[in-house]
Amino acid sequence: MLDAFSRTVVSADAKGAAIGSEDLADLRKYVADANKRIDATLAITQNVSCIAADAVAGMVCENTGLTQPGGHCYPTRRMAACLRDGEIILRYVSYALLAGDSSVLEDRCLNGLKETYLALGVPTSNAIRAVEIMKIATVAIMTETNTGRKMFKGINSGSGAQCQDIAAEAASYFDLVIEALS
Amino acid sequence: MKSAVTTVVSAADAAGRFPSMSDFESVKGSFDRAKDRLEAAEKLASCLDKFTNLAVDAVYQNGSYEQANKDKCVRDIHHYLRLINYCLVTGGTGPLDEWGISGMREIIRIQLLPTAAYIEAFIFIRDEIKINDVMSQQAETEFKGLLDYLINALA
Repeated sequence: MLDAFSRTVVSADAKGAAIGSEDLADLRKYVADANKRIDATLAITQNVSCIAADAVAGMVCENTGLTQPGGHCYPTRRMAACLRDGEIILRYVSYALLAGDSSVLEDRCLNGLKETYLALGVPTSNAIRAVEIMKIATVAIMTETNTGRKMFKGINSGSGAQCQDIAAEAASYFDLVIEALS
Repeated sequence: MKSAVTTVVSAADAAGRFPSMSDFESVKGSFDRAKDRLEAAEKLASCLDKFTNLAVDAVYQNGSYEQANKDKCVRDIHHYLRLINYCLVTGGTGPLDEWGISGMREIIRIQLLPTAAYIEAFIFIRDEIKINDVMSQQAETEFKGLLDYLINALA
């Protein structure tokens, strides 16, 4: 598993070069944005059940056959598995966001996920839709552009508007999930 | 590769839980110290050749090692300093451990290399070169900590 720092190291080592000023600029930004990054991760961890439940509910609303007998979310046992998977994906996205690198998400979550779903008969098109909704919800909560109350309590007094860049990064990790399932 | 963040994430993943408040504290703690080590890494990168040449010249000056091996010694010292540069960036000893120290004893033994020359060179860098001229006190402390770590591993 890599993070933003070790990713730089691995690519520098491939060239056999020491890490100088240019490469360090990005890392300095990562360090400077550490508080925002932690806040953005908190936005996920404090709303896991809400994000996952909303996404699965949205997926079912758009395709009500899923919860009917014969549907993929029937009986409740399979619906529960679906909610659980939503939370697992959110967990790995939160790890990747904290580390500033997607390797943990790719190695430990996405590698083989599509094959597993195909083997288990999970419809990937519905799974992708749920991930899309999770992405939208997460970005909205992170940037405080959701309707209603502020949904997370960060360690900074700063507002969600400061999390814009990090939210874009989080969205890119959800896109990786979607790509892996497509 | 081991760093402050990956250690925390691995532990959280092994337990199947989301990163907790104490995880964030530990990550934040490592970021608070990151400024000094990134400075040390930057300055070391710009002085890598200078430090290497100064150290190797000093070691080979007294004639106790074969001059023919000097180029190889320069190459190796340069290599180790580059790994120290990486360690300063990651904030852990991962790069030195994985790419410099593991397997090193075996190689040194089989090729009958004089490790004393390496140790002398690193001690020279640690004690004789005025590192303070190029980097701040805190950055120097970070750099010397890793030099000590390497010297102990070689000894």
